[in-house]
Order: sequence, then structure tokens, then C-alpha cells
Amino acid sequence: MDETVAEYIRRTVLKIPRDEIKSMLQKWGFLSEAELQTINFHQIKDNISQEVVQLCEENSADIKQAAVLDIIYNHIYPNKRMWSVYQMKKTGEEPEIFDFQSFKKKFKRRLLSALENVTINFREYEDNAIWIRIAWGTPYTKPNQYKPSYVVYHSQTPYVFISASVLKSNMPLLCQALVIASSYHDIQEMELRSRSLNSLKDIVFKRYNQNFKTYCPRPPQERNAEPESADLRIIHENRSEKERIERVTWEIFGDGPQPQLEFAQYKLETMFKSDPKMEVLDKKEPFRCLVKFSSPHLLESLRSLAPAGLADAPLSPLLTCITQKARNNFKIKEKRGFFPGSFVSP
Amino acid sequence: GVFTHLERLEAQAHEAGRKQEEKEQQEEKLARLKERVEELRTQRDKLQAKVDLQQKGQTGRKGIIESGTTEPSAGAVLEWKIRRLQGMLQAFYLTGISAKLTKRGVCFSISTAYEGTYLDSYYLDLLIRPEVQIHHHSVPIFIPLEQITKRYLKTDIRRCLSVLSDHLNAYARRKYQADQLQEHFSDQLEGTLQRNSLCNLLVFNYKVPGEGKTFPFNARLIYRDLCCSLPTEAVVSCTEKAPESLQETAAAHSELFRHLALHKAFCSFSRAEERED
Repeated sequence: MDETVAEYIRRTVLKIPRDEIKSMLQKWGFLSEAELQTINFHQIKDNISQEVVQLCEENSADIKQAAVLDIIYNHIYPNKRMWSVYQMKKTGEEPEIFDFQSFKKKFKRRLLSALENVTINFREYEDNAIWIRIAWGTPYTKPNQYKPSYVVYHSQTPYVFISASVLKSNMPLLCQALVIASSYHDIQEMELRSRSLNSLKDIVFKRYNQNFKTYCPRPPQERNAEPESADLRIIHENRSEKERIERVTWEIFGDGPQPQLEFAQYKLETMFKSDPKMEVLDKKEPFRCLVKFSSPHLLESLRSLAPAGLADAPLSPLLTCITQKARNNFKIKEKRGFFPGSFVSP
Repeated sequence: GVFTHLERLEAQAHEAGRKQEEKEQQEEKLARLKERVEELRTQRDKLQAKVDLQQKGQTGRKGIIESGTTEPSAGAVLEWKIRRLQGMLQAFYLTGISAKLTKRGVCFSISTAYEGTYLDSYYLDLLIRPEVQIHHHSVPIFIPLEQITKRYLKTDIRRCLSVLSDHLNAYARRKYQADQLQEHFSDQLEGTLQRNSLCNLLVFNYKVPGEGKTFPFNARLIYRDLCCSLPTEAVVSCTEKAPESLQETAAAHSELFRHLALHKAFCSFSRAEERED
């Protein structure tokens, strides 16, 4: 077995939390159950990984098999990577019969014809998600297994989730291969990025809990049946205002959990509106400014702003349109037209 | 022979479908008639009350006028209105498409079902001004919603909803069949069931109980019509080394899959085996 493969397997096993190593190796299925029994999973990780490498040597593992272990790790811990969303467009209207085998063939053929030194792995999951791992090389060097790109694609949808390696130069080739393999015409990056892959899927597939008016809606007042304060000395002065805020928040955000995003970024190219007497800026140029909201869970924190009294309800539509518009990166320009105020560029 | 058997099966399937349709129509009719009965009853009560009142007026104010025989109170009328609306909404729900007016338009809900089992519901929230457009929706991304709405939304909403409902119901039913196959007949499946998001391409290896223990069949079902829950193409093959009789069975199965729902087809395999025993 190649030394580089051994080192790669060793480092991959070291990434896995100790309690998860056994189950992940079982999912991998490369080592038999009997062989796994011989490993002591209670020792320090360094020793565990050495034992695993030894067993892999005895079974002559190659880089493709080692790459599968990497896919499994990233599938269970996708939040360690930053994911971007790409949208594909097609013009034809033929019904789509998506065949996974044909997709794989076309994808591999496109990449391999342009670049000999790549390692490509596919793995299909129960929820129709196809995971593709690509390790890139150059015409003169072998693929760099430590900086692979990951692609997650659900068949018959126009969205692709890509976690690119640092080597951005391979993106055009990757995009082209995806478009050809999935029979689309064009691909474009969306302004949506997050570490939470599932939340990105929720947003573009519209799986989050939107509010739909059916003929039996549950008004929020019934839900939050706050028990009348036991202490009768406490009087809620702003009860009606509180209820209004709750109702407005419920109308915007709905009931269920929000998708998880880490930031929302607004690039402002608007004119600075100041008192003309102050004359802060002589030149009539747009005031360039970048506003970034960061949070471990941005949308939940936005939802709790008004009820906590930190902001007025309803919140600015620039903040509440994030899930609807499926973007968290905005450019705001001055609107030149009938309506005053700024508008969001597409 | 095989063909008469197939013809019989086909006839049975047609008959079952027809009976199902009849049953549904009858249920709808029943709901409508029940409503009508309610309406007529209350009308009769009202008229009766009027008649009584008139009679009382003619014979003078004799006796105690009980509140029950006078004009129905506002509360009772309201209750009757609510019951009637609920009945209508229930009847609409049974048809699969219902709607509610919103502040700026209408919200339609399309429910899917397969033979009595209710599956998921999907929503389409529309704005009416300045023109009919989608506000938001919960239709899965792989259903060609844009295509359908581009064609029909602005011109014929009813047709748009009907086509969308056909797509969603067909998808839900294909998914249901595939799920049922995996759940109840996993012992006859070899390896994994390959499917895609729309469930319109299914590829799997299976063996029929009793026969072909060493020669599994490979089935490739393609559903080209997205509004249909039966495949347009069904290719069943077995390895070349298999005996003649199995080739015939493969052809028979191919026909079967095109006319019978997947899980029902597998059900019939087990029943056929029982009959042979």
C-alpha cells in the first residue's frame, strides 16, 4: 500500500471523535467485522489510527477506498465546511428521467478528459442526495487529497451545493462537468452561503415551516397560554402591544424552527443622507459601507429581536426576506425612479 | 395460459379501478345529499314556525308562546351556518383541493392520497394584484411548478390547479408504491432499490418466492408520464443462463408492472405462490 494512502487514512481517522470511530469504520465496510473486533477502541486515538492503518495495509487499500471514508466523515459532519449554493438553468421542457449511472459516466468523462490527475468518488444516500468528492491534481502532480471539493446534488432539482477547496481555479471545470452530466445548460452561483448544509437545503427546497393559511389556522394567542401571573401585584401594562408584536412576529416567521445561517451581509452603495447644512460629504458619491450581521443562529436571533424589545415589529423587510429570497448576501443601491428609498439589486 | 391469466388480471384491475371511482362518486353524492337534507330540514322548521305563528295570530294570544316555536334565534341561525360551511369545507377537502382567502389573495391547499390513505398536503399561496402570481409555496422543487404556472396560471387557474394536483398526486403515489415495496417486500429485493427524486425511474433486483431462487430478475421501470402513477416502460430481464420458463415469467411480470401498482404486483406474486402450494 502506498505510503501517502497510509498517511491519509491515518489522518482521516484522527479527525473522527473517538467514540464515533468504530461506527464510521463499520459504515465504511472496508474492514470486516472480525478485523474491527481486534482493534482496541479505548486507547488513545494515535494508537487506534495506527492499528487501522495496519489492517488497511493487510487489505491493500487504495486511495479510492480511503476517499470513501472521507466522504462518510464529511456526510456526518458537514458543518465543518462552508457550503455555497449554485443554481442550474435549462431551457428545454422534456420530462426528466434521471439515471444515476449515466450521470456518473458523463461527469467522470468530462473531468477526466480535461484533467488526468483527479480522484472522483460518488456516494448515493437514502434521501436521493448524491455526494461527489473530487481531489484535484495538475498535469504534473498527483491529486491533493487533503483539499478535496465536495458536491451534493439531489437529482431532478436545479440546485447544487458545493464546498470548494481553496483551489478556486478548478471551479469552472467542475461547474461545466455538473451541467453536462445533469443535462442543464447553465450554472450560476447564488448569494447564499452557510456552514449548515441542511439549512441551505431547507431554504432552497422550501422545506422550512412557512405559514400557509388553511381553513384551520392556529392563532398565536391560543398557543402561548401564559398562566396568569401567580403574583397579582405584577400588572402587564403593555399587554396589547406585546400581543401585537407576537402576532406580527408569528406572521413573518411562523411556528417552526428557522434554517440555520451564520451571517447576513449587506453591501451598501447608497448616498449618505445628512442634514444639508452639515455638508459632511461634499462629493455626491455613494457612501460605501458593509453591514454584516453574525450569529450562531441568525434567523432565530432575528425572530427574538422584537419580542425581546430590542427592535420594532415588523422588522425591516431586508432582514425578513432572507429565506424567501434564498440569499444572505445583498447589494443595496440607490433607486432612481418613482419610489424613494433604496432597493435590493437582483 | 399466461395470456388469459394476464387478460384476467387486466380485467380485474380495470374493474377495481372502476369500482373505486364509482365508490368515490357515490360518497361525494352522499355528502352533497346530506347537506341538502340539512338545508331542507331547517327550511321546513322555519316554515313550520311561520305557520304556527300565523295560526297563533289568528286564534288570538292564547297560551304561552314557547321560544322554541318562534323564529329561530340568531344563535341558532349562526350555528346552522357554521355547520353548513363545515360540511362544504369537508366536501371540498375530499376532492383534494381547498382554498382560503388571504389578505392579498388566495391560498390553495392540494392534498394527495392513494386509495384511501391520505398522504402529504402542498400549499400554493397566490397574490391577486397587480396580476395573479405566486407569493410562496411548498411544492417540492423537482415538480415542474414553473412550467405549469407559466402555461396556465394567468389564463385558467382551475386548469393550473388541476394539472398541478395531477402531478403531485402521481408523484405521491409513485413514492408511496416505492416506499411500500421497500417496507413490505424487502426480503424479495436484492440489493438496494435505485430511485430518483421524482420516483420516475426505479431499478431493482428481485426474486419471486418459490421460483428463480438462483436467478433473480432485474426490473427497470420508467414513468415518462409525470401525471401517471403506472410506468410507461417496464423492462424485466433475467440472466441469459436462466431457463425458458423464467424468460416467459419475466415478460409476464413486465406486463404486470405496467398495469398494476408495484406493491400490489408483489402481493400477487406471494398469492400466486400460495396458490401453487
